[in-house]
Amino acid sequence: MKKIHNLFDKLYKIESLKKFKPVIQAADFFLFGTEETTTSAPHISDNMDIKRYMIMVVIALLPSTFASIYYYGWRAVAIILVSYIVGGIVEVTFAVIRGHDVEEGFLVTGLIFPLVLPPTIPLWIVGVGIFFGTFFGKEVFGGTGKNTFNPALVGRIFITIAFPVFMSANWYEPFTSGLGGFLHYAPDVVTSATPLASIKAGVELPYSYIDLFLGKAPGSMGETFRLGIIIGGLFLIATKIVNWRIPVAYLGSVFVLSSLGNIVMPETIASPGLQLLSGGLLFGAFFMATDPVSSPFTKIGKWIYGICLGLFTILIRSFSGYTEGVMFSIILMNGFTPLIDSIILQIKYKPIKKRSEAVLNER
Amino acid sequence: MKVNYKKFSTGGYEFKDFKGNPINKVIDMEIPQTLTIPLKQGFGGEVSVIVKPGEYVKAGQIIGIDKNAISSPVHSSINGIVEEIKTIKHLNKEVNAVVIKSDGTKEWQPLEGHSREWNKLSTEQIQKLLYMSGVTSLDKSGIPTIFKSSVISPEQVENVIVYGIGTEPFNISLSVLLQDERKSQFVTGLKILKKVMSNAKFYLAVNKKNSKLIQELNNLLFDVDWIELYALPPKYPLELDEVLIPTILGKKYPYGYLAANIGVIALSMQTVTQVYDAVVQGKPLIERTVALGGTGWKENVHMKVRVGTSIEDITSLYLKEHESYRLILNSMLTNKSLTSKSLPMDRTSSVLIALKENKEREVFSWLRAGKNKDSYSNAFLCSLMKVSNKSCDTNIHGEYRSCISCGFCEDVCPVDIIPHLIQKYVKKNMLDEEVIDYGIFNCIGCNLCSYVCTSKIDVAKDIREGQEKLTKDECGRDTIVEPYFDLIGLKEFKNL
Repeated sequence: MKKIHNLFDKLYKIESLKKFKPVIQAADFFLFGTEETTTSAPHISDNMDIKRYMIMVVIALLPSTFASIYYYGWRAVAIILVSYIVGGIVEVTFAVIRGHDVEEGFLVTGLIFPLVLPPTIPLWIVGVGIFFGTFFGKEVFGGTGKNTFNPALVGRIFITIAFPVFMSANWYEPFTSGLGGFLHYAPDVVTSATPLASIKAGVELPYSYIDLFLGKAPGSMGETFRLGIIIGGLFLIATKIVNWRIPVAYLGSVFVLSSLGNIVMPETIASPGLQLLSGGLLFGAFFMATDPVSSPFTKIGKWIYGICLGLFTILIRSFSGYTEGVMFSIILMNGFTPLIDSIILQIKYKPIKKRSEAVLNER
Repeated sequence: MKVNYKKFSTGGYEFKDFKGNPINKVIDMEIPQTLTIPLKQGFGGEVSVIVKPGEYVKAGQIIGIDKNAISSPVHSSINGIVEEIKTIKHLNKEVNAVVIKSDGTKEWQPLEGHSREWNKLSTEQIQKLLYMSGVTSLDKSGIPTIFKSSVISPEQVENVIVYGIGTEPFNISLSVLLQDERKSQFVTGLKILKKVMSNAKFYLAVNKKNSKLIQELNNLLFDVDWIELYALPPKYPLELDEVLIPTILGKKYPYGYLAANIGVIALSMQTVTQVYDAVVQGKPLIERTVALGGTGWKENVHMKVRVGTSIEDITSLYLKEHESYRLILNSMLTNKSLTSKSLPMDRTSSVLIALKENKEREVFSWLRAGKNKDSYSNAFLCSLMKVSNKSCDTNIHGEYRSCISCGFCEDVCPVDIIPHLIQKYVKKNMLDEEVIDYGIFNCIGCNLCSYVCTSKIDVAKDIREGQEKLTKDECGRDTIVEPYFDLIGLKEFKNL
């Protein structure tokens, strides 16, 4: 450890590497933590920091990550690696150009993005997607904390529109027996459609609820092992990393609206059970809609946001040409986030001038 | 007496189980050789000195008094000779202080007119005893008397709250403060205060987990109907007037003003025991019980120290050597650190904290299980286990990052504002009506938002900066807060 420590000290001093200080510093702090102390009151500081915060999300994503390897082979790891490398390069480049620290947000974006992709997607499309997502979804807005849209979703939507053939036509059966994908590189049995597409086409589903719950139905890499997603999501809520309001409002409104819709229009609106257990709903509700930067920060705003997400998801799934509505509704509501927050703030905090006039009039 | 159990749901955070909590052991500290006694201690202004260098003074003798301004007398706390009168920087203010060289004797001179049968004393006599003992200068608004000891008169007091909840990371132990006969003396102290502030309703606020104390107080006060007991969770910052009063009385607090301005006096338990000492035993305020908190002490004992004892006299006895510690008086969350060990302990001292200066870097700190890492989030093993040795030091445990709106600061904020929102307005220098509407002046500076911030932003400091700038632009609290309240004693408060 001492040797590495000294190495960093030397690196800091090299003149030609001055420009790359953010990178060296990121690696340095990644290994050794900080030596910074408080300067005034409060003299103590919570042990929580952004590194821990992001790592908790990564830990919560591990069940889905392992499931994606099990169901779709080691190619999943290749996809994740491409995502991390390209995303990391964009983040680091911007840190160097702007001269600020490398922020840890890309640790989460870089993992969420591959998990919402189809398992056989060409690796170069993964690279293009994450590049677009981090560049146009985050960095052009000013970096972590300032982006309006969820960067992983920006990337996902870009490639959905740019490369529709790769994104919605090629679905593969997951490995489900024995060691599954741990013995394979990539899936090879082509399947006709994902459960959502079958529902849309009015075809009877060949999968039971248990199959859907455990991930035996085809879908995006990390979205199908729903048991793991729920465990991860609850873990994040229990550790206070994720606010419970958004997933509860989102899933609750999907349940209520699809129950009602299913009674009125059973042909077009699928039953609540199918809605909850298909597509990227659970993954989106726990991991993407809850992104603190792009979702409302007011408490009532979170409820409105979640309920609207549910409404749009049902509408898009049932009445549009697309089979899945989760990512479109999240991106749409990301755009409405500032509006929701400012309306709630205006209602909650009445203008002080009006208030004081009222008080003075009373006297 | 009625016992109410009450929740505290607007924010707050329970600091518990930190290593270095004061234990139930009291030590009488020896009389130090020299004392430095500041002429401004506690509530009120600086008093004018009435002794001269070379003069012999007795412990308990008044050495400074100002009958015309809001203040309480200051006493010599030892027998000895006045050495000099000098200016010191005490609690961030330049004040004059009297340096006294001790003759080594312990005796003190009792107050004139004190009586075991305090009931037979007139209200005026009691008030005189309280004023002359200096007890009236304790806590945030002082104790009102016919003398100029607070901004209001005793008849104007509608509510008195006595608190001993223990919400700081390190608290003075109530078992020490109310040991044995001290408990009934405490109750007598309450009755004395009731005689002075006869219009007031009294409230006791204690930690709801301290069921033994609740039971004992209930037994002692069972036939008293002017007092109510509130059992509250030990969440920081419940002991601050600004949070305690709305929680118990359901009253709105005029942030930035004194509790006395709305007719409320909040006192700590030690104050009430010292009221008893002054009236019944005639003991002036020359001694305080101080707890030693934090890992820097050889033993986390309580000490009875004479007012004016220099911090060095305590540290030379108890502070661990070879390591560097930061010394803080009373609160690690709101108070500045002590810059010099030559500063004296004054009347307001109750906890002296030695916090470890930790510049050490921790390898892979973000990956550790965190068996003794305190956090508002539940992201460390510590929140699952019952541990009693959470570490606490000055390290910030992370790097400065941009705000990701995680919402922790809003969750813990005790005055229901959105700290990160206001902080962003201040940082962008958008100091307009909007930020006032969002409640920038509601911030009471409890600093909890800065404590929990995952991005290590000093949110509270930025908010304070915004408040100062707005006040400079004549948009201060006198235009934002004042019009909403019928404040009493406002002129006196502003003259302080």
